[in-house]
Amino acid sequence: MTSSEASVPAGAAKTGGTQSTRLFIRQTSGLVRELGIPAATGISLASVAVVNTFINFNAGLTDFTKSDMYLPLVAAAVIWLVAMFAYRYLLRAVPRAGGEYVYLSRIVSPAAGSVAGLGIAVVFTYVLSTNAHFAAQFTPFMLSGLGAAFHSTAVANAGNHLTSNIAIAWLSVVVMLIVAALSLFSVKIVARIIFWLIVLQVLAFLVLIGMLAFNSHADFTSALATYSNHPGAFQDIINTAKSNGVVFGTSIASAVAIIPFMVLNYNGVLYSYYVGGELRRPGRTYLYASAISIGVLVVLWIGVWALLRARAGLTFMQAQANLGVINPTAYGKITSLSSVAGGLGYGMVLSSDPITKILFATAVPLAEIAVNLAFLTVTTRVLFAQAFDRLLPVGVAKISDRNHAPNVAISIVLVIGIGFCFLTSLVNLGSIVALQSLFFALILLAGGIAATALPMRRADLIPTPGLPDDARRSWLRKVALVGGATTVLALFTIYELIAHSSVYGKFSWESILTLVIVLGAGPVIYLIARQVRRQRNSLDLDMAMRELPPE
Amino acid sequence: MWGKAKGSKKRALRIYFATDLHGSEVCFRKFLAAAKVYEADVIILGGDFAGKAIVPVLTENGSLRARVGGEEITVPESEWGRLSGDLGKAGLYPVRMESGELARLSGDEAALGRLFRSEIAAQMQRWCDLAAERLDPSVRCIITPGNDDPVDADPVIAAHPRVECPELELCDLGPVTMASLGVVPTTPWNTERECSEDELSKQIEEMLEQVPSGQPCILNLHCPPYASGLDDAPELDDTLKPVIRGGRPSIIPVGSHAVRDAIKRYQPVVGLHGHIHESRGVQKIGRTLCVNPGSDYSSGVLRGAVIDLAQDGSCLDFLLTTG
Repeated sequence: MTSSEASVPAGAAKTGGTQSTRLFIRQTSGLVRELGIPAATGISLASVAVVNTFINFNAGLTDFTKSDMYLPLVAAAVIWLVAMFAYRYLLRAVPRAGGEYVYLSRIVSPAAGSVAGLGIAVVFTYVLSTNAHFAAQFTPFMLSGLGAAFHSTAVANAGNHLTSNIAIAWLSVVVMLIVAALSLFSVKIVARIIFWLIVLQVLAFLVLIGMLAFNSHADFTSALATYSNHPGAFQDIINTAKSNGVVFGTSIASAVAIIPFMVLNYNGVLYSYYVGGELRRPGRTYLYASAISIGVLVVLWIGVWALLRARAGLTFMQAQANLGVINPTAYGKITSLSSVAGGLGYGMVLSSDPITKILFATAVPLAEIAVNLAFLTVTTRVLFAQAFDRLLPVGVAKISDRNHAPNVAISIVLVIGIGFCFLTSLVNLGSIVALQSLFFALILLAGGIAATALPMRRADLIPTPGLPDDARRSWLRKVALVGGATTVLALFTIYELIAHSSVYGKFSWESILTLVIVLGAGPVIYLIARQVRRQRNSLDLDMAMRELPPE
Repeated sequence: MWGKAKGSKKRALRIYFATDLHGSEVCFRKFLAAAKVYEADVIILGGDFAGKAIVPVLTENGSLRARVGGEEITVPESEWGRLSGDLGKAGLYPVRMESGELARLSGDEAALGRLFRSEIAAQMQRWCDLAAERLDPSVRCIITPGNDDPVDADPVIAAHPRVECPELELCDLGPVTMASLGVVPTTPWNTERECSEDELSKQIEEMLEQVPSGQPCILNLHCPPYASGLDDAPELDDTLKPVIRGGRPSIIPVGSHAVRDAIKRYQPVVGLHGHIHESRGVQKIGRTLCVNPGSDYSSGVLRGAVIDLAQDGSCLDFLLTTG
């Protein structure tokens, strides 16, 4: 039984010649597990945390002056679009589940795959904590919204007591514990929980679009004044920001610098390759699903940004986001609207009924819980793989007899994740978003390198049936070219992250140590495990990655 | 931390186990090479050796025409060796035929079934001959069937002097006795070797009752134990398509309760399993080390497991391999 046979075409359509040939398939297990374009598109879109775009909009507005999102949104889409073709070739060559770990193992070397695998496990654990941190940061906004929905001043004001670093750290821990507790249910139930959390955040996003579309700029300024109980709040925020040194307008340099935030925004849009083994005609299905998903997100996000600009105005958004950071006291005197909530906050201002208030208030925390539930599964799976490769104790992969869940792996991820929660809240590890951006840029780089190396190292995996040698060589060059372009674009993203390290993560000893741990964990654990096993006269780990000669 | 030290126990037997090659020529050749590379005393191919598809290659005016990877291709007749080699690597059976025969096979399921069985049997004969040619005489080669393998293939393997096929039998490996069974619980595909959980339980029990008391044994059961983490596969709907939940294919355990119960009851030293290609892993059920090395045959990658056993039959160490 397998899913990999999905790449074998079942039956055939007539494409020419005097009589159509076909493939005869016998009755065996696993031949018909095929996902089509709609299912693959659903997977891609569900992998994108749609409401996180407001977090990234806010990061762009506060970290760079004269920020606008049109160019970053389009440029990031182009980067993913190029990468989409590179992954298409990888998927056609290796139509398996597993993503970069599998591609690097097959194409570069098993060792590179294993090292990348452990790096992914460590970083994913870190990402779990940063997502929990995001959810914690939005707790005051959530309580404020829920207070407004239920007409409870106590609930609304409770958020004001949850803004200190230590409070955010503990809230992050609570989010991690909720995620861990939900993970102990069966996989089916967890999947249902994720589904409904995704539905809620998409619903909030769509309602927000509707509100922005059906209200005018005047409606917004008036609603803000009412919400803030401060006539002229709109103009006062702009004036106060100006007097506090906030610079308005747009600049190309700023837009280019924001691209990494938007690269992160689209992360997940190609994830149907992670289920490559399940796709019908994987290359084609993945390509259509990814192109449709990128198209939908470009339209949706650019549309939302255009609506935000039309209703609130770029000057107001720049003023509000920056004033909240530069002079929170002055900002707080004008309005109680969270400065980090961006579009969701504007939705809250415009909303007049409790249901939409609850939707907006809970969208980000629920989205982060959904993302973390999915990440926890992936992280435990990667830990499993390391345990099976003897890099970690086998007990890490133990499945509980009682609930059939990987309790040990979940506990490990939980403990490390909680540690990261405190570090991200209490220690300056650099910009949290930035480390995520850097990590996903590195993953993209790994994909680009694998695609570039594909025609050189495993040309045998690239199917070009019937092509003459010259045409095949040309095809292989095309694969290398697309892989190379993806590599260059990933390097550009990494360059931007490093060039703007003051925003994306300062090179302090803490941030460098974090990076060293993340990137060096794989090789270090491999070397330690190998040495320990050698001393015990156990099987040499090197044996696990030895290339077998077929002849 | 990385596994229990076994004191002064010395290795008495090294097993290399792989499974689910599904007709992949390149993987079988790697399987034979594994004996030398991993210094194995016994190499075991644990079922599902047969390929799944025949590619009819039409001969027309000095050209060969076939459908490969969803596209119809035409190559000169002189390219037959390369074409058949490429197809064989992926586990496909290329068969040259005239257009009349293709038309006849398209409408005759019985004839197609016979062609499949004959191709599989021929491949098994070639593989056994290759084993005889390439393996060191001191290495034992054991091939047992899985649920996707036609029963007609068993006699071909059993009759070959170089290869053993102890299906539904006990096999003495020195420090341990091995019991083998390729039958699996009912699947949605109605494959060659399936039965109910009760029947499977009975068959396993009958074999294990014959193991002499106190003799350590290992199980070579194609189907992994239920909910062991070695049996995670996508959930299917009524049309046999994967069920999507929360934006991901829903993954559920599909292993055998009978196998799990047998392992819990008899506590063999090791359980060797396959069947679920993407559920590669190792789990302990009680004292039993259960292994599913997974399969990646379509990429030409051989996944396997090296297992060291001591003279007293205890398991010293294991390693999952990718080669």
